Amino acid sequence: MLIGIDVGGTHTDGVCMRDGRVEAMVKVPTDHDNLLATISEALHSILKDCTGAQIRTINLSTTLSTNAIVTGRTEKVGMFVIPGPGIDARSYALGDQYHILSGCTDHRGAVSAKARVEFVKPLAAKCREEDIRVYGVVGKFCTRNPEQELAISGALAPQADFISQGHRVSEALNFGRRISTAYYNSAVWRTFNNFANALEQSVRNLNLQSDINIVKADGGTMPIRLAREIPVQSIFSGPAASVMGILSTVPVSEDALILDIGGTTTDIAVLLNGIPLLERDGISIGEHQTLVRALKVESIGIGGDSFICSRGGHLQVGPDRHGPCMAAGGPSPALMDAMNILGYASFGDRERSARGIKEVAMAQGLSARECAEQAVDLAMTLLKKKVDAFLAAINARPVYTIQEILEDRMVKPKSILLIGGPAEAMVPLLEQKFSLPAIAPQFSQVANAIGACLTRPTQSLVLTADTSRGRFTVPGLGIHKTVKRTYTLEEAVHDATTLLRSELDRQGIPAEDGDIQVIEADAFNMVEGHYTIGRNIRVRCQMRPGVITTLAS
Amino acid sequence: MLKAQSRLGIIFFPAFDWAISATHPEREERLLYTQDQFKEEGIFDIDGIAEYRPLIAEEKDILRAHFCFPDVASVCTNSHLISAGGVIRAAKLVMEKERERAFAVVRPPGHHAMRTVHGSRGFCNVNIEAVMIEWIREHYGNLRVAVVDTDCHHGDGTQDIYWHDPDVLFISLHQDGRTLYPGTGFPSESGGPKALGRTINIPMPPRTSDDGYLMTVKNIVMPILDHFKPDLIINSAGQDNHFSDPITNMNFTAQGYAKLTAMLKPDIAVLEGGYAIKGALPYVNLGISLALAGVDFSAVQEPELDRDRIREQQSTMDYLKALCDQLPEVYFNPRPVDVVREGGYFVRRRSIYYDTDDITETQVERVKDCPHCPGLIITESETAQTPRSLGLYVPVQGCDLCSQEAEERFSKGRQAGFAHVQLSDRIAKKYTYIK
Repeated sequence: MLIGIDVGGTHTDGVCMRDGRVEAMVKVPTDHDNLLATISEALHSILKDCTGAQIRTINLSTTLSTNAIVTGRTEKVGMFVIPGPGIDARSYALGDQYHILSGCTDHRGAVSAKARVEFVKPLAAKCREEDIRVYGVVGKFCTRNPEQELAISGALAPQADFISQGHRVSEALNFGRRISTAYYNSAVWRTFNNFANALEQSVRNLNLQSDINIVKADGGTMPIRLAREIPVQSIFSGPAASVMGILSTVPVSEDALILDIGGTTTDIAVLLNGIPLLERDGISIGEHQTLVRALKVESIGIGGDSFICSRGGHLQVGPDRHGPCMAAGGPSPALMDAMNILGYASFGDRERSARGIKEVAMAQGLSARECAEQAVDLAMTLLKKKVDAFLAAINARPVYTIQEILEDRMVKPKSILLIGGPAEAMVPLLEQKFSLPAIAPQFSQVANAIGACLTRPTQSLVLTADTSRGRFTVPGLGIHKTVKRTYTLEEAVHDATTLLRSELDRQGIPAEDGDIQVIEADAFNMVEGHYTIGRNIRVRCQMRPGVITTLAS
Repeated sequence: MLKAQSRLGIIFFPAFDWAISATHPEREERLLYTQDQFKEEGIFDIDGIAEYRPLIAEEKDILRAHFCFPDVASVCTNSHLISAGGVIRAAKLVMEKERERAFAVVRPPGHHAMRTVHGSRGFCNVNIEAVMIEWIREHYGNLRVAVVDTDCHHGDGTQDIYWHDPDVLFISLHQDGRTLYPGTGFPSESGGPKALGRTINIPMPPRTSDDGYLMTVKNIVMPILDHFKPDLIINSAGQDNHFSDPITNMNFTAQGYAKLTAMLKPDIAVLEGGYAIKGALPYVNLGISLALAGVDFSAVQEPELDRDRIREQQSTMDYLKALCDQLPEVYFNPRPVDVVREGGYFVRRRSIYYDTDDITETQVERVKDCPHCPGLIITESETAQTPRSLGLYVPVQGCDLCSQEAEERFSKGRQAGFAHVQLSDRIAKKYTYIK
């Protein structure tokens, strides 16, 4: 049996599942000041309903780290960065103890100037005075060669409880983002680890031998052992749990749109051949961009409670929300009221809906029906416009080969999957507007928890090799070794997928053929003078996001 | 978060699947390390800098700038159409005001491609700047354009295409042609009879570094630009003046390139040459991009830079100072040049060598001495592979008389014994071959 728990803004949902069937579910209010209590309560309650069962895994989507960051309840971090030449590293500064060191590693991983460890000493002393116990050490191009990060980390180790090293927080290139990622990782490290200790204790107290996994924003999970090292990966996992919830309801293997229609907003996500599309670089925390991989999700200011009014003679829908719609006892007419009038929905007090819309209709010189029609059409048009812009932006993404330009693989949704309160009512409206089949899957009240429960682990790996210098690096696994001059792309692809598979094995994550995707595999001849001196090889592969099983109908 | 002062669009297209040949400098790997640097510096995270993909140029886009013999498809691969499409995207971004400036970091390059194209010269098949300028003039009327070519090699292709055009000012700064391919680009080459002083060549001695280069731009290029008052400034931003470039002998740096860009303030910059793909391009492209966006570039520097080793000798500076005194005259007081007139036409007879493809072209160019416009261009051209062909070009400022004459000559082209006949009539917007 599997348990999934989704800690949401107001409620925490939990499910227990066996063979794609929900065996038990629970909904408890979230206490943001004591998430552990909330989670324990949910766990207790679920277990009560399935006593004696073997719980294999517990998947948890938690707002713990997000909340710590958003409310500013994070620990002070001492940052040491080694930028070398380029964009001024002061523009990435985070926290009071942000120190820029000399030293330079270039794009090939060649160290042209060493960071001077003796210069670190007085700065480290300053951090000690400030009682700083967690650190971040980030060098430009450290993923190509972590030597300098290791040296500086070594100097800080005696006074550090934890150090986030750039090359371990993300294998992707982007110095500024890697700095924010390392900073936030250290900033939430203690909070997360205290929580993890308590959680593991309370799971043991329940006599469970389950593996605990944490849901990430990219629609995958990671074992709690790994999450203790990179807790920053647990932020903003809510939308991922919800998208994976849908995927567990309806199997999709083509391009599709997912619309999560709420009261105030609609979240859009896209499936490419059934696989959720990720952000190109990573998620942003306020104005700080990170390398935390996340599903690409955009919010639009249209929802069931979008306020309808007459402004300057024109009908307007959203983006504001003035409380719930009138049918639900709210103060002003909203989109749901208009849908009530037109018979798309029959929600709450339809009399109140009629009254509210009538008022706006009079100001417009329209009948209530006409007004409702116009309001609904306006909302759908706006939704369509935003979705089109979202897709256009995805389709305009840069590509780097002639073949890709000529192929021009466009994202073309074949269907729309809808969830949220007003979803069912909107099916015919959206089908008409988008000329696409729309489905509002029978969706459980605890869908996000189901998503969390059935989500598989994800992991990615980057391998780079420069045969002219004999260098081979897999920064994510801390592998930096030499390689023979005759190393080929085929060998690299084999090594990358094998390494990823054995890393997944080590973590106890089952991976079937086809789960490991090679996203990028390039080899470039390196030429000096007129001779080929080697090959520059880059391979990126991942365990793709997905669900273990879909819900049994 | 960093913020750009000028909204910049970068068209980054490394064409990772195209090369002239496996060990040729113009190969797949050329922009790989620039991409690494762009990614690691997070250049597209800067508020105000955005990345775009290229368009694909159409045949008519190429024919607006070129005579292609025997036809476009024979001299132009998809890679060339996409590289040309990259600069068209750059133009579109700026002309439609989506971006204030644009930088086309695309390959293959184009500035050695002349009006007539039989193949590749100096790694170039189509002149991507000219394709872009003619696209702009087709859609936005005859703007005044200045092209400042800062590639280390003389931009002989761009010079050829705008030789007779009084509305396009072409300025090329390059390593002295006596010491480097293509061996041209002397001050005496100053434009055709109808466009005298609209071609400015600034040959610089080998080993010129930042001080000398920037002094030359400040004292020659900037006053001319101030006077010409172009609607658009295009920079052919070749990066082979770099001290580490393997096929040239100059000593320019990434800092120098960034300062040059800040001084020129081009609306659109286009990558040309530059083959120090590891030691120069990552830093030069970064410097140019930051300078275009108005972001602080003072910390951009090559890791192995040693300023003392590359500084100019005094004799180089003295030579350049003398050049700074004399060269502006080419623009402000152009000396009449000897031209050959036959009937009502100015005639140039030339032999042009295509080094990359090993083709020798024999060409006769006749330009009508028209009282109303810069004049119809009639080019007869042949190579060992392609029999005598005819190109007819009515310029964008062209008149009805020239357009009529072009049409007549076009219709009689086959009778006159030409194997291929191409008409590019900019006023009738007609771009075609005799079938």
